[in-house]
Amino acid sequence: MDLDKLLETGDKCIHTEPPICVASCPVHLDVIAFVSEIEKGDLKKAYKLMEKRIPFARLIGSICDHPCENGCSRKDAGGSIRISDLEKAVVQFGYQPQKKALELPKNKGQVAVIGAGLSGMTAAVDLTKKGYMVTLYEKSDRLGGRIWKYEGKGLEKGLIEEELQIIEKQGIKVNFNANIDHSGLKELENEVDAVYLGTGVWEEVLKIDSDTFQIEDTSVFAGGRLANKNDSIIASVNSGRRAAISIDRYISRVSLTASREREGVFETPLNYKVDKEPFIASIEKKNKYYSENEAIMEARRCMKCQCRDCINGCTHMQTFNISPNAYVRQINHNERIILGTHYANKMINSCTQCGLCKEACFLDISMKDVIHETRESMVEKGKMPLSAHDFALKDMKFSNSKKFSMVRKQPSKEASKDLFYYPVLSYSKYAKGLFRGSGKTGFLFYPGCQLSATHSEHIGEIYKYLVGTMKENYIEGDVGLYLGCCGAPADWAGRQDLMGENTQNIKKVWEENDQPTFILACSSCISIFEKYLPEIEVVSLWEIFDQYGLPQRNIKPGRRVLNIHDACATRHHSNVHKSIRNIVNSLSYKIVELDYTKDKTKCCGYGGLVYYANRDQATEFIKDRINESSEDLLVYCAMCKDLFVSGGKRTLHILDLIYGTNLDGLANKKMPTLSERHYNRTKLKMNLLNDIWGEKQGMDMMNHVDFNLIIPDDIMAIMEDRYILVEDIQQVIDHARKNDECFFNPEMNQYLARLRLENVTYWVQFEEKDKDVTVKSVYSHRMEIVEE
Amino acid sequence: MNGQSDKDITWVCHKCNQNLALKKVKVRYLEGNFEVELMKCTKCNMVYIGEDLALGKMLEVEKGLEDK
Repeated sequence: MDLDKLLETGDKCIHTEPPICVASCPVHLDVIAFVSEIEKGDLKKAYKLMEKRIPFARLIGSICDHPCENGCSRKDAGGSIRISDLEKAVVQFGYQPQKKALELPKNKGQVAVIGAGLSGMTAAVDLTKKGYMVTLYEKSDRLGGRIWKYEGKGLEKGLIEEELQIIEKQGIKVNFNANIDHSGLKELENEVDAVYLGTGVWEEVLKIDSDTFQIEDTSVFAGGRLANKNDSIIASVNSGRRAAISIDRYISRVSLTASREREGVFETPLNYKVDKEPFIASIEKKNKYYSENEAIMEARRCMKCQCRDCINGCTHMQTFNISPNAYVRQINHNERIILGTHYANKMINSCTQCGLCKEACFLDISMKDVIHETRESMVEKGKMPLSAHDFALKDMKFSNSKKFSMVRKQPSKEASKDLFYYPVLSYSKYAKGLFRGSGKTGFLFYPGCQLSATHSEHIGEIYKYLVGTMKENYIEGDVGLYLGCCGAPADWAGRQDLMGENTQNIKKVWEENDQPTFILACSSCISIFEKYLPEIEVVSLWEIFDQYGLPQRNIKPGRRVLNIHDACATRHHSNVHKSIRNIVNSLSYKIVELDYTKDKTKCCGYGGLVYYANRDQATEFIKDRINESSEDLLVYCAMCKDLFVSGGKRTLHILDLIYGTNLDGLANKKMPTLSERHYNRTKLKMNLLNDIWGEKQGMDMMNHVDFNLIIPDDIMAIMEDRYILVEDIQQVIDHARKNDECFFNPEMNQYLARLRLENVTYWVQFEEKDKDVTVKSVYSHRMEIVEE
Repeated sequence: MNGQSDKDITWVCHKCNQNLALKKVKVRYLEGNFEVELMKCTKCNMVYIGEDLALGKMLEVEKGLEDK
């Protein structure tokens, strides 16, 4: 895995980019944290945050010209947050005298600061804190410069005097009545390591660098109104601060310019959208300052602007409380571990790879692709936790085994001649279709593994419908049938080895059968074919229903209102979305679209095999989607229905509308268990071979044992949770009985047997009564016990 | 990983009609090889793993090894 590329992707994410208020504050007060503390009622902590960023916080906080408020995203939704008023309230109610800081040795050098105004005092204090011996030269007899203009106009005399004591407390030497002119400056330049000029006016024009505040390449730096050419209080403070950084670098002989891109005001790429925010008007203050309560109310209006566009739609990122940039860093760390625990594994296996994040991101960051690549890399390095996807991959193997998989051409005319007589030929489109058989396969119906397990009773009917319909419209192309699994589990699990094998097998079938168009009924199949088998033409069953008309059945028109949940695998297939809606409309249902719909649809929780790797995470996905929907859900993916019904939501599959008889029953119908799915698939294959191709011999593919297995419901539920199949425990018991390999508990009169099947040891506790074997408990482990 | 309790002792090996005894047993998973004391039939060596152990400590060790 290209980790540099990965990190680049993560760096594109702007989740951690500051809001415009912070970016337009020259000293970058952390407004979100500041406002959050006020909201919590902790004005003392809020003051600490001011103090951290703003020199002479009580003074500046009271008279700041607050450029932060100009761009506030709240501006058009009730008015900018009144950060300035909040600061004033915090100065009033949150101030606490600073504890006396440990005095640092001042041995880094000597600096002269000319002018004890805002910028000069800031530079003096900052440089003192950095370890310089600073001397202030002030032409008047007091500190503060134009701060005194605010006496009685926002600042009380006592407060000014108290706050200015900082200079003395810092041990900064002050020379009052010291009018330094051009020649005085030259003298100072020779005496000290650097000079800061903060005099507001100067006798000659100075060439001040706007980034470093250095005057040409001298040891003199200038800020305040000399550099800013305006009266902004906070800009003045900021220039003093930044010049102090330059002076430190200058004396330390390091680059004056490196890594200083975001000092002062800068442009943030964050563009917070307020279109969904409710209008909340500013809180007016009743007195001179906000009361604590008013400040809290005003702070509550702040939206804490941060790009969360992808997170807002993603249950997974919400659960792990993570953004793409942090996610990528964790993956990077996980990938680089050689010895130690891969803590991010569980998170990486909890993404449904649904792709909604990319839809929501204006920078097109796709965590789906990142996760996909990461899982492949984990597999390659042998670092993918075995248990995460083992069951799903075994299920895929089952579906591609003889127990389910099969390929058949349309029954030949010769084999179907029993049907070719009146009146069958006149009413049965299927018989007509067979009669028109050309021997050349134009279409291959590929219902997929899950639909064949959940709606197996309709597959034969659909096949007959397709033969009738397609042969009516395409004389040449017969319709064949192909049962199997497209390989989606391997794709999700990062198993490119299995995926490649599977793709080759499907391609082989396609080539051996006249390169037909595949008719797909599963959204995952559609996306897998598109990704791995682009040469194969596909069409969804839903498009065929829409284009050629529904099967001739007595379908009762629906009156209910439905929310359509689009499948995430086909989020970009607008033709599928359209067909589904056309079908639903044609059956007289009313559709109410969900907020997250079509290309912005959400995953049900099955995607990415999350259902197997982290069941709790899947449950969160299910809940999230169910909460969004007020009506019955209409889905067209078998697993979506399964998961929503498991969450207690009335959910109908599109096939339920067409082939179902009791819709109320179907909407709540418990979906087949994992064991029943296997059974249903095998049974479907047997039934189709028997009913349509008349193949009867050697087709009994069910497992047979000489006992009658009884599994109570509660045990069945446990088996589902633990991914234990009926066929597994059947083998355990059969093996125990045939080989007398088990433990016995005479008190309970029960047996306990174990058998290792592939990489799992299954344990079954059971009771025997004649031919009846009743299961009492089941569990398994992967660890291998060496019995010697 | 010894998580076996007294109640487990009520099991006997059906084939050998033997009580089980606590013995050192080798277990392995992925890159991990351990020796732990488990109940087993001293005659046929069949090892008993109770549900609590399988779903408790054993699962924890499995997960730990999988994330190594």
